[in-house]
Formats: sequence, C-alpha cells, structure tokens
Amino acid sequence: MSDYIDLDALWKVLVASLLAGAGLAAVFSLSLVGLSSGRTAGRAGAALCLLVVAAGIVLGLYVMLAK
Amino acid sequence: MDANLVLLAIVVVTALSFDFTNGFHDTANAMATSIATGALRPKVAVALSAVLNFVGAFLSLKVAATIATGIVETGAVTLTVVFAGLVGGLAWNLVTWYFGIPSSSSHALIGGVVGATLISAGASAVKGAEIVSHVLVPAVLAPLAAILVATVGTYLVYVLTAKVPGKVRDRGFKYGQIGSASLVSLAHGTNDAQKTMGIITLALIASGAIGKDAGTPTWVIATSATAIALGTYLGGWRVIRTLGKGLTDIETPQGFAAESSSAAVIFASSHFGFPLSTTHVCTGSVIGSGIGKRLAQVRWHVAGKMAAAWLITLPAAGMVGALAWAGANLIGGSLGVAVVFLIALLLSGGLYLASRRRPVNADNVNDEWTGRVASVPAVRERAA
Repeated sequence: MSDYIDLDALWKVLVASLLAGAGLAAVFSLSLVGLSSGRTAGRAGAALCLLVVAAGIVLGLYVMLAK
Repeated sequence: MDANLVLLAIVVVTALSFDFTNGFHDTANAMATSIATGALRPKVAVALSAVLNFVGAFLSLKVAATIATGIVETGAVTLTVVFAGLVGGLAWNLVTWYFGIPSSSSHALIGGVVGATLISAGASAVKGAEIVSHVLVPAVLAPLAAILVATVGTYLVYVLTAKVPGKVRDRGFKYGQIGSASLVSLAHGTNDAQKTMGIITLALIASGAIGKDAGTPTWVIATSATAIALGTYLGGWRVIRTLGKGLTDIETPQGFAAESSSAAVIFASSHFGFPLSTTHVCTGSVIGSGIGKRLAQVRWHVAGKMAAAWLITLPAAGMVGALAWAGANLIGGSLGVAVVFLIALLLSGGLYLASRRRPVNADNVNDEWTGRVASVPAVRERAA
C-alpha cells in the first residue's frame, strides 16, 4: 500500500460509487422501461425497481450520517 | 482583551463570508445540470438547493477534524493565520467565480492556510506528506472516478431506455434528476458547512473564548448553515453556466446519470474517508455524462481550463494567504487584521462591480454556449 494513496479506501470508493451511481441509475432506468410497457408485470417490476432505488438512497444517507 | 475580541469578531465574519462564497460557488455542483436540462427553473433550483444545504448543515454535528489542523502543525495556527488563510480562500473563490470556473472551495481554503503558515511559521510547520495524500492525489483521482462512474451510468441509462417512449423517459429522468441533485445538495451542506464550523470553532479555541475540548456552539452551526444557504440561493450563475452549458450539452438522462454519479461518489468518499472535493467530482460527472452518450461532444478546452485552474488553486490561494498574513503582521495586532479585512472587502466589491458589466443571471444562464461565460455581446465572441 502506498504512503500517498490510500488504495484500500480508493477501491472501496470506486466499487461503492459504481454500484450506487451507475447501478442505481440503471435500476431506475429499468423502472421506466417497466412503466412504459403498459403491462401489470411491468408496473410491478417498476415498483420493485423504485423500491431498490429508495433503499439505496436511505442506505447512502445512513452511512454518510452515521459517522 | 477587547482587541482580542475585535480580532475574533473579524475572523468569524471572514469565515462566514467564506462560507457564503462556498455556497454560491458550489450551487453549480448540484444544480447546473438540472438548470441546463430545464428539469427545474433556475430560481426554483437554487432555492431547493439552498434549503437542502441548510438542512444538511444540521444533519451531522460531528465536526470533521478541522481542515486546518490536518495539514499544518496545530501550534502554528494563530488567529491571524486562520484569518489570512480565509482571505486566501475567499480571494480564490471570488476570482474563479468571476471567470466562471468551478473550483474547489476546500482547496482554496487549504491553500490559503498553508500559505499563511509557510510565511508565519516556516516550511517545517506544514505537513507536506499530508497535503500530497489528502489534497493533491485526491484532486487527480476525484474527477477520474466520477468520469468513470458517470460514463458507465450514462451509457447504461441510454441503452436501457432506448425503447422507452420519449415522453415517459424525459418525465422519469426529470424527477430522477431532481432527486439525485437534491442528494448532492444535502451532502454539500453536510460536508462544506462543517468546514466553516470547524474553522470558527478553531478560532474560538485559539482565542480562548471556549475550552479546548468544547464542541461547536449552536450559534456557530446556525450561522454557518445560514451563510452557506444564502450563498447557495444567490446562485453562482457564472459557474452554473460553465458547468451546465460549457462542458457539454446535457440532456435530461445525462443530467440524471451525472447527478447520480456525483451523489454516489461523494457519499462513498465521505464514508470511506477518501477526501474528494465535491467540485472535482461533479465536474468529472458532467464530463462522463458527455462521454457516455455516444457522439456527445465534450468541449475539452473548457475542461482543460478548469484543470489548469485546479492546478494553481493551492499556490494562488497560498500566495494571497501569505500576503494577507504579511500585511496584517506588518501593521500588527487587531489593527493590521482590520486593515487587511477592509482591503479585501474593497477588492471584492470591485470584482462584484466588474461582474455587473457582463452579468450572468437566472435569465441568461442557459443561453447558447459561445465560448465564454459572460458573452452578452455575443457577436464579438464568435471566434472562440
């Protein structure tokens, strides 16, 4: 581990932000796909996706404020 | 005692002024994309961001180890050093605002404090390794991480919703964008208002007004939250314009992906203790949202200007901080600090007047990008 770069923290930041930033954005996009499908299954899937996004946001707020 | 009180009062006012500039400088981070895509009307966007910054400032009351003590020896931090450091940060914030360059307020503050410490206590009082690992390296990594996340996010967003009807897509991402931008505002209030609280608490301790282990007084939290919120509401329209229109032309899905990426990177870095500047992250996200959408164009010369500004943030703010300390020291005592404060006030006023000649405001913030921040007489700037 380098003295100048906290590699351990860095890769955690990268993985977490890829999952949360790109991952949740993708899940949110899927909810739009579901919503526009017009089918009941699509709407249910969309609701599930939005729930995942909401859970992610709550988790994010929690970990940031819990310090 | 009285002179000390005057000194302390000036430091507190300067810190709150810095907090205020921190607010309007960074409104762009959260709201530039929402304003550019029209998800929110400009005035509504800055009002929302202001409220969330205010709330954010109260959310986490554990003041992060003050910015100054991490990078310079605690013994070297006198009231005058704190004051001079703040002046350095303020000056850099105002100048970069004038040129519409998003630049890190924390870096400006750190630069100011380091400059003032260098001249007052010498190089041995500055923790060089800390500066490299906590300031310089993150400054390079922050935009790169954000570019990566936003590029992937934008790509996924476009691929996944390719068959979704435009109306549903735009509406959906509009709300998504408002939500993620709100998170960025909240995180900004939590992280950045605390820097000012830390500085004021440090000044109170240094002057003996409160004990060494005392927590942050409530009035400090309230005034810091108010200052950053007022600054945010004022809206740094010049910076908003560069970030929202200058770097790339942003559509709603891109704005959504960019803000999600910013929020995620800021939250993650704050949680894992990797100090990334909000400004660097948000700028990287906007660039990434340009790369992630196929064929979207990033104006790299605008990005290059920003990178150049980031490179000289530390030395430039440091120079002003050193000058401010030297000036105050030359005259001596509270009078010296008061004189420097007045000079800084006059110069800031001058810059404000200069900005009025080509104002950027809620009305023209979204005008077509013509190569400059304030290109009101658009014809003359065609060449750029």
